[in-house]
Amino acid sequence: MGKYTLIITEKPDAASRIASALDAEGKPEKNVEKGVPYYVAKRSEDIVVVPALGHLYTVTSKKRGEGGYPVFDFRWVPRYLAERGAARIRTWLKVISKLAENADTFMNACDYDVEGSIIGYSILKYACGNKENTAQRMKYSTLTKEELEKSYTEPLSSLDFALIEAGLTRHEVDWLYGINLSRALTTAAKNYSGKYATLSTGRVQGPTLKLLETREKSIKCFVPTPYWNIKAKIKIGRRVLEAEYEKNPVEIKAEAEAIIDSCKGKDGKAEKIELKKFQQMPPLPFDLGSLQSEAYRLFKCTPMRTSSIAQRLYLDALISYPRTSSQKLPPAIGYHAILKQLGRTREYAKLTSELLAKPELKPNEGKNIDLAHPAIYPTGNLPERALYSTERNIWGLVVRRFMAVFGEPAILQSIKVTISINGNRFQLNGRQTLEEGWLRFYKPYVKSEDTVLPPTKEGQKISVKKVVLEDRFTKSPSRYNPSSLLRRMEKEEIGTKATRAGIIQTLNNRKYIREERIVVTDLGFEVLDVLKKYCPTVVSIELTRKLEESMNEIQQGNETRENVLQDTVEILKPVTEQLKEKEQIIGARLSQALMKSRLEERTIGACPICQNGKLVILRSKKTGKRFIGCTNYFEGKCRTSFPLPQKGSVKPVGYVCKSCGWPTVRIWMKGKRPWNLCFNPECPSKEERSEKR
Amino acid sequence: MKCKACDREAAERDFCLVHLKAYENLVEKYDCWRKALKISWKEYLSEIEQNPLTGEWAKEVANYLISNEETRNVEES
Repeated sequence: MGKYTLIITEKPDAASRIASALDAEGKPEKNVEKGVPYYVAKRSEDIVVVPALGHLYTVTSKKRGEGGYPVFDFRWVPRYLAERGAARIRTWLKVISKLAENADTFMNACDYDVEGSIIGYSILKYACGNKENTAQRMKYSTLTKEELEKSYTEPLSSLDFALIEAGLTRHEVDWLYGINLSRALTTAAKNYSGKYATLSTGRVQGPTLKLLETREKSIKCFVPTPYWNIKAKIKIGRRVLEAEYEKNPVEIKAEAEAIIDSCKGKDGKAEKIELKKFQQMPPLPFDLGSLQSEAYRLFKCTPMRTSSIAQRLYLDALISYPRTSSQKLPPAIGYHAILKQLGRTREYAKLTSELLAKPELKPNEGKNIDLAHPAIYPTGNLPERALYSTERNIWGLVVRRFMAVFGEPAILQSIKVTISINGNRFQLNGRQTLEEGWLRFYKPYVKSEDTVLPPTKEGQKISVKKVVLEDRFTKSPSRYNPSSLLRRMEKEEIGTKATRAGIIQTLNNRKYIREERIVVTDLGFEVLDVLKKYCPTVVSIELTRKLEESMNEIQQGNETRENVLQDTVEILKPVTEQLKEKEQIIGARLSQALMKSRLEERTIGACPICQNGKLVILRSKKTGKRFIGCTNYFEGKCRTSFPLPQKGSVKPVGYVCKSCGWPTVRIWMKGKRPWNLCFNPECPSKEERSEKR
Repeated sequence: MKCKACDREAAERDFCLVHLKAYENLVEKYDCWRKALKISWKEYLSEIEQNPLTGEWAKEVANYLISNEETRNVEES
């Protein structure tokens, strides 16, 4: 093979798809060198497509092996030099460098976003010998053959250096924040207790934790107040319906009781009937945030999981690039062609033909624009492999949302009947769909809220069966779930669409938060308290937003990387000094919180024998074996202990045994399904099992 | 000095910052309860302590106030 064009992709799957799309016969030659796959595609010229494995280069401190803080000098290095477990990156880079030697043209075909631009740029610069200035850029939003061909034959003449500059700055700023603050916390705890535990925080992590902490505090300090709802059970024709008192909620019990008294034994009269027609516009096309929210609402799929499934579907060329903030679907994507292709499946055939019969296809779009990509849409390709159920769900959701945005508005009618019972007004509300419009296309995902009221005329006498008083209390603000937290982060403009879900996951991994309806742990409170007390700037939402703005300004060419980095160092210098000065106090607080958190992790529940101790998972100092013991053992009050399996991992899960009510533990063993173990030797379920045997 | 409701450092009124906030909420919301049900401070605290919708820290403060003399002081003031 003579000289060729070398195309760099972000992931191996994308390399395979791009090579297939560009090969004249659609059958590129696959080669594997030292475990690194690359493809040779033949057309009028030779093309070699080689993938990266995401980021192959990363930021690290200039001095090797430097573990302390503050650290403000950094450099970009291959990942294998900075991270454990990244050894295969060395071989990967060697293979890319070797392939670059015989290439005469270079193209970056990584995803068209900040990360993709940096991945391609750093490989072209460092592994291909400074080819970043002559390289071209393939820009595409779907991995379909047509779009890939077009992006290859009409590439951008150069890399997007403004985007790269902004991206590099983001990585460097995040590294400066992360390394300095996380090291300060971890070192403080380790120096105090002698035990190592990773405690991290960062430019987005801190402010996100602060959002959660504020909510948690208002929940934990919440004091409910009473109120009363009055409802009248009325009969119209054969139906018994519930009418709401006009002035609900009533805040004084005596007043509510007086109304009930005055309604007693009285009939009602339909005073007024109001009909109102209104339109419900079609939904907007999906951007990543709204797809994540909808997938959580419908399938309880976490934002992180939705994001990775969407990425998978994108790599399978089933949907367009998912990490977009656009709410626009430009005609250039080819509405007709997509719908026609989707119509090949029986499920969508009828719906797509309805849309295709329309004289004009015009999507209902939102305001948000993303210059790099349109909103998420199905490519029209049908799955080439059997999709997993969650993948099928997400793909189906994208397809139906795409169809729905072209639908007509739904026409609905609301009916309000005002009923007077001895001068007290009650309201009966109904709703009816007159024309389904877009709802038909999105049907499995929208619930009909129709409540059809029986025919009623003004002046009609209404039979009142009962007027009831309901005791109610105000409720605390609801807890965030991964989806609502993501929306809040979006609203506060902290993090990016690509990083938000990962930040929530990190907070979970660090045990600062737990459960799906997010609860801030004691450790989370303590870390945030420390940051708020000694370096409030780093948890400031305002500051994080300002930094995001600065990075956008770099992209627009109105700000420089040097300025933003200098500003970051100026913020972090006094912060790290303060943290160092107070290291002892901070270490004590964090160590205590860590100890408590470790104990909580091992705590199974109340001791059923002594009633006031707690059962925890312990390890014998003599034998090294693990067992369950009571915390009162150390005070000589309770000698309760139970054996545990020695293999696999054991964790308390908060469930009690259905047969005996004792707390249980969950056991994970290699090659076996996890199971809940009741350790009560006299549990009736054990007797039942031995009888069966 | 330690907080009266937990072992954190006390800030004001001998409560730590979180329990102080819960205490302030308790005092503030008493007005609503008094208007709604015409109940005394002591009865109010007992209602709050038993209500499953009360926040954990507010419950701890209510519990502390119930079992301490301060109950009377607040009621009188």
